[in-house]
Amino acid sequence: MSTRNNASFKRFGAAVSRTIAAATEVFRRPDATLVVVGTSVGYLLIYLYALGHLAPGLGGVDVTIVSGALEKFFQPELGPLSFTPVARVSVGPVTYLFSLNTVLGLGIAGLVGLNLGLTYLAWRQPAACGIGSSSSGFLASIPAVLSGTACCGPVVLIILGIQASGIIVTTFQFLLPIAVVLLLGSLVLVGRQIDPARL
Amino acid sequence: MPSESSFSVMSITRRQFVAASGLAALTGLAGCAAAADPELGGGANGNANAGGSTPVTNGAAPLADRTLPLPMTPEELRSKARSGGPPKDGIPSIDDPSFVGADGVDFLDPGDPVFGVARDGVVKAYPQKILAQHEIVNDNLGDLPVAVTYCPLTGTAQGFERGGTTFGVSGRLINNNLVMYDRDTEAWWPQILATSIPGPWNGEPGTSSLREFRLVWTTWAQWRALHPNTKVLSTDTGFAKNYGRDPYGSYNPVGGYYSNENTLFETLSQDDRFSKKRVFMGARTPDGAVAFDKAALLEDRIMSGELGGTPLVAIADRRLDTGYVYLNPDELSVTVDGDAVVVDGETYEPDALPLAGIHTFDAMWFAWHGYYPDTNVYA
Repeated sequence: MSTRNNASFKRFGAAVSRTIAAATEVFRRPDATLVVVGTSVGYLLIYLYALGHLAPGLGGVDVTIVSGALEKFFQPELGPLSFTPVARVSVGPVTYLFSLNTVLGLGIAGLVGLNLGLTYLAWRQPAACGIGSSSSGFLASIPAVLSGTACCGPVVLIILGIQASGIIVTTFQFLLPIAVVLLLGSLVLVGRQIDPARL
Repeated sequence: MPSESSFSVMSITRRQFVAASGLAALTGLAGCAAAADPELGGGANGNANAGGSTPVTNGAAPLADRTLPLPMTPEELRSKARSGGPPKDGIPSIDDPSFVGADGVDFLDPGDPVFGVARDGVVKAYPQKILAQHEIVNDNLGDLPVAVTYCPLTGTAQGFERGGTTFGVSGRLINNNLVMYDRDTEAWWPQILATSIPGPWNGEPGTSSLREFRLVWTTWAQWRALHPNTKVLSTDTGFAKNYGRDPYGSYNPVGGYYSNENTLFETLSQDDRFSKKRVFMGARTPDGAVAFDKAALLEDRIMSGELGGTPLVAIADRRLDTGYVYLNPDELSVTVDGDAVVVDGETYEPDALPLAGIHTFDAMWFAWHGYYPDTNVYA
């Protein structure tokens, strides 16, 4: 039993090592880096918009920082994973609210970007990829959509005319953690198929 | 709204629940007039719903002498509470409001809704776009401590006397309606009911009603035209909020949650006579409840009805596009003449008839009927 576990750990360790090596390779290539950065920035903007932290505002140019910002930074606002904005930046028609959610969003966006960066690498360098397929990149899109749905899901419900219930509400609270786990999983899944030595 | 959030229970908060659809692809008072009934107290614009007042003791909110009706027992009401997403005070009340003069307002369009109050020489307007993100403003009208409250999901703006305490947002909803709590006793106060019920922080608060005062739901242009010296709640609230974004929808023009047939949670009772978000001018006393269709009232200018066997008259005020409800037990002759109202040959302003006024406020149909299923309805 322990032998089997050891073998599993070794395989997992090897997969992680390959993923790290492949991720490193992503940032050595300008085109792949562009995919990562472009995807991450795009996703972050959409994430913030979905949260309402980046949206049309009252106009003007203004920066406001609330008093006791550091204390309020970790204070939940609309839920356990929704935090109190501590700064407001208005530039013309756009208003941005800074909160811990921006940091969380950066993390998710980075994972989404890295997933697509690795997928891009597998697509551009099929020889380096064990199965030479880019279809696994779609795996990254599943958690990406999930994490987006975590913000926008209620909108989907409204459009579908579905009333909220305790079960639905409870389900939604797990979407972000699920999305993060799936993003990490798909990252390893794609990364382990790439042989850095053949890149 | 809510509201109403991201990835947790809160992720389905009221606010996100009704966020922009484009994202989907992505992932009694008897406010009485001059001749007000002393038992009912107040004026059409005034205070005291169920009656006179109880002296303020310690920090507690002053209570009305008569308790308003509840649709079920307080315990049953508590069991109907649902988490709207945000935790206690997750939607933060404004406890240190600042105000600007009308000339200093550059964040309101003429058609934007405001909740106005003019009493004892104090004239203030509270923009809906600010209240949508705070729901409660703990303020003072002169020397009178008050709470200005607004529930986006039920379209109700109500004013309460708060005595030495302040009110906060509990994070729970009953009948999709804001449940407030007072920070002195921590009792729950469903906004429309204006009456204490047990909750997790105070299981035996008794059953008492708050003293209310009228907030007029009107537009910025209309309020300013009638009250050019009004003060307006400033966007400088101490919070980093985007007051240009209503998480629930839009009132200028009407759209989103405010016009569709969706509600966040089931309503306490179902009625399909009218669309869910149709606005009624509701009034209730310990003797019952009555609702006048606002659009019909504004068109007809005057409507009659009945509450607990007592004849009523509802009067439209075209200056502010609102309405007032008065008891008319003697069935005096009431007619309209231009923008004025004629009662037994004498002319009065719509908000100052020589009749006992009943505290009246706007409410979405589903919300009013949910709490007052036996309400009289005139449309």
